[in-house]
Amino acid sequence: MTRLTSKVCVVGDFAVGKTSVVERFVSNHFSAKYLSTVGVKIDTKEIEQPAFDVTHKLVVWDVAGSDEFGDREFAYLRGASGYIFVVDGTRPRTIEAVETTQSQIGERFGAAPSVLLVNKRDLLAEWGVGDELFESLSASFDGAFRTSAKTGDDVDDAFARLAQLIVENELRGK
Amino acid sequence: MELPEPVVDYLQSNFLDETRPFCLLLDDGYRVVESWGDNSWCGLEGVEPGADMRESAPFLVGLPLTVTQRFEFIETVGRAIVHAHLVPDGDNCYVVLLDARLAHAAQQTKQQSVNEHRLIHARQRKFIARQRELISELVETRSELEHHRREAERSSADKSRFIASMSHEFRTPLASIINYADLAAATATSANDVQKCVETISRSARHLTSLVEALLDDARLDAGQLELIEHDFDLHNVFDDLAAMMAPLAAEKGLSFATLIHPEVPGVIHADEVRLRQVLINVLGNAVKFTVEGSVTIAASYAAGRLQIAVTDTGPGISAADQERVFRAFERGSAREQAGAGLGLTISLRLVKLMRGEVSLDTVPGEGCRVSIDIPAAASTAPTVLDADMLTVPGVDTMAQKPLSVLICDDDADMVALIEHYLHRSGYGLIASSDTAEAIEKTLKYSPDLVLMDCNIPGVGGVAAARQLRERGYRNPIVALTASKLGSEEQSAFTRFFRKPAPMQELLTEIKRLTHQD
Repeated sequence: MTRLTSKVCVVGDFAVGKTSVVERFVSNHFSAKYLSTVGVKIDTKEIEQPAFDVTHKLVVWDVAGSDEFGDREFAYLRGASGYIFVVDGTRPRTIEAVETTQSQIGERFGAAPSVLLVNKRDLLAEWGVGDELFESLSASFDGAFRTSAKTGDDVDDAFARLAQLIVENELRGK
Repeated sequence: MELPEPVVDYLQSNFLDETRPFCLLLDDGYRVVESWGDNSWCGLEGVEPGADMRESAPFLVGLPLTVTQRFEFIETVGRAIVHAHLVPDGDNCYVVLLDARLAHAAQQTKQQSVNEHRLIHARQRKFIARQRELISELVETRSELEHHRREAERSSADKSRFIASMSHEFRTPLASIINYADLAAATATSANDVQKCVETISRSARHLTSLVEALLDDARLDAGQLELIEHDFDLHNVFDDLAAMMAPLAAEKGLSFATLIHPEVPGVIHADEVRLRQVLINVLGNAVKFTVEGSVTIAASYAAGRLQIAVTDTGPGISAADQERVFRAFERGSAREQAGAGLGLTISLRLVKLMRGEVSLDTVPGEGCRVSIDIPAAASTAPTVLDADMLTVPGVDTMAQKPLSVLICDDDADMVALIEHYLHRSGYGLIASSDTAEAIEKTLKYSPDLVLMDCNIPGVGGVAAARQLRERGYRNPIVALTASKLGSEEQSAFTRFFRKPAPMQELLTEIKRLTHQD
C-alpha cells in the first residue's frame, strides 16, 4: 500500500467551527466551549483509501479565523495540497470571507482541490443558508456539505472527499 | 548605531532564556544534518542525524526549504507553541524553533476577547434585523387590525341602523296583530268585523314571517349555510303567480303590469324555483313600489342554457351615487320614506350569485330602471308537479278515507290545537304529547299511523326520539315539523321534514299521502 502525506488547510471566518470540525475529524470529540485559535494548530490523521491502495496521512492546519487574510495567514497555506473552507450556516455573512479568501488563494498558490462545509446544521432554528444559496455556493467548490461538528454529521465525508480529490490530483501529477 | 556590549549581552541572554531556541540543520530531503539548543520543551527529544523531520515535525510537510519563511504561533501535534523560522543555507536549511507559549497565552486572551465581542456584535446585528422584521410585521398587523376595526365599526353602525329600522318594521305588524286580536276577542265585535280582524292578523303575520325569512336568509348567506334546491318547474306558473301577486298592487297605483315569456323559453326548466321566485318578488316589488306612473313589465328569454329575466319600470330611476349602494345590506337608496328592511335587493343579488348568475342594472335618473337577471337553467322534458295552493284552508279532498290516528309531539299548545283542528277536520284521530318520553311511550302503545314530531322539545329531543322509535320497531312515517334547521344527517331520522310555519295544506296533503289516503 502506498503511503501519502498531504497538507490540508482549514480556513474560514472566526467562530464558524473550524477547530471543532477538525477535532471531530481527528478525535471524534466535540466541545461546546469556544476557544479562539491563535496562529495555527496542527493535527494529523491517517485514512485508508482502498480504491487507490493508499494510506493517506493528512496534516491538518487549522488556521486562525479571519475575515481578511494577510501575509502571516497566507504563509501558513504554503505547500497545501487542498483546502477545507468552513462557513457558519447560522451566519450567512461568513460566506463573504470564504469567497474572498478562496479567490486570493487561487491567485497566490494556483488551483487546488477544495470543499465547502456549511457548519452548525444542528442549529436548524437559526439556519440561514437556504437550498438555493447552498446550491449556488456548491458550484464554486469541488464538494459542499452541510455539517455539524456537534453531531458529526457529514464531517468525515467532507474530509474523505477532499482526500480523494488530493489523491486523484497526485496521480494525475505523476 | 550599535548598542553597548553589556546591553546586547543582557538582551541576548533574556531572549534566549525566554524563547529557548532549538535549531536544526536539514538537508533537501528534510533529514537532520545537525542540531543545537534546548529540545526538551518542543517534543523533539532524541532527534538523531539522518532522521526525516516530517515525521516528528509534520508542520514541515509541504514547506519548501529553499525560501526564508517565518511562522508565528504554530501549535504542534505535541501541543508545543512555537515560532518557526526557516533559513536556507546552500543545499541545506536551518529550522529554528522558538518557544512562544507566553506570547501565545497573551495573544490568545486578547484574541478571545476580540472574537467574543465580534460574536456579540454579530448576534446583536442579527437581533436588530429580527427586531426590525418584527416591528415591520407589527406595523402591518396593526394596520390590518385598524382596517378590521373600521370595518367592524362600519358593520356595527350598519347593524345598529338596521336594528333601529327593524324595530319599527316589526312593531307595526305586531301592533296590528295585538290590536286586531283584542278587537276580535271582544264580545261586542260582530262576526263580519271578526272576519276582517282575522284577515288583518293573517296579513300582518305573513308580513312578519317575510321579514324574519329575509333576516334569516341574510344570516344564512353570511354563514354560507344557504343551499340551493333545484328541481324541474314551469316558468309560466311562476309568472302567473307573480302576475296574480303584483298586478293588483300595480293597479292600485294606476300602473300597467305585463308579463312576457318569449317562445324560446323551454316549457320546463331546472333551477331553484323558490329562490328565483324570491328574487323576482323582490325586484318586482321594488319596481311597483317606486314607480309612480307608467308601467312595470317582466320578460323572460332563453339562450345557451341560460334564462334571462328583465324587470323594466318607468319609475324615477336610480342615481349614479345610489347605484352602488342599492344592492348593499340595509340600504334603500335615497327613497328612505319607503317601508322595508333594506335587505331584499342585497339578498336577491347574493341569491343570484349563489345560482352562478349575474344581475345588472340599467338606469337613467328620471327615465326608469331595468334590472336584468341571468342564471343558468337547463331545459328539462320531465313533467312538473303542480304546486299546492299554499296557505289556503284545506278542502274536503284532504279528508281521510278511513279513521286513522296521528300522534303529535309538540310542547306548544297553540300549535297542537291548530293541527288538531285541521286533522280532525280531515278525519284523523289525534294523540297529543308534550315531551319525547311520553311520545315514545304512546307511540309504542297505540301505534299511530303517523307521528308528527317537533324537534326542539323537552326530553331527548325530536331527532333522538325518532331514532329511538325506529330502534324499538315503529315502522310508520315520522314527520318532523319544527322551527329548527336540521342538517341532512338529522333529517335522515325522519320520513319527511317540514319547517314551521309550514303551509297547512301542503302538510295535510303529505300526511294523507304518507298514510295512503290520497
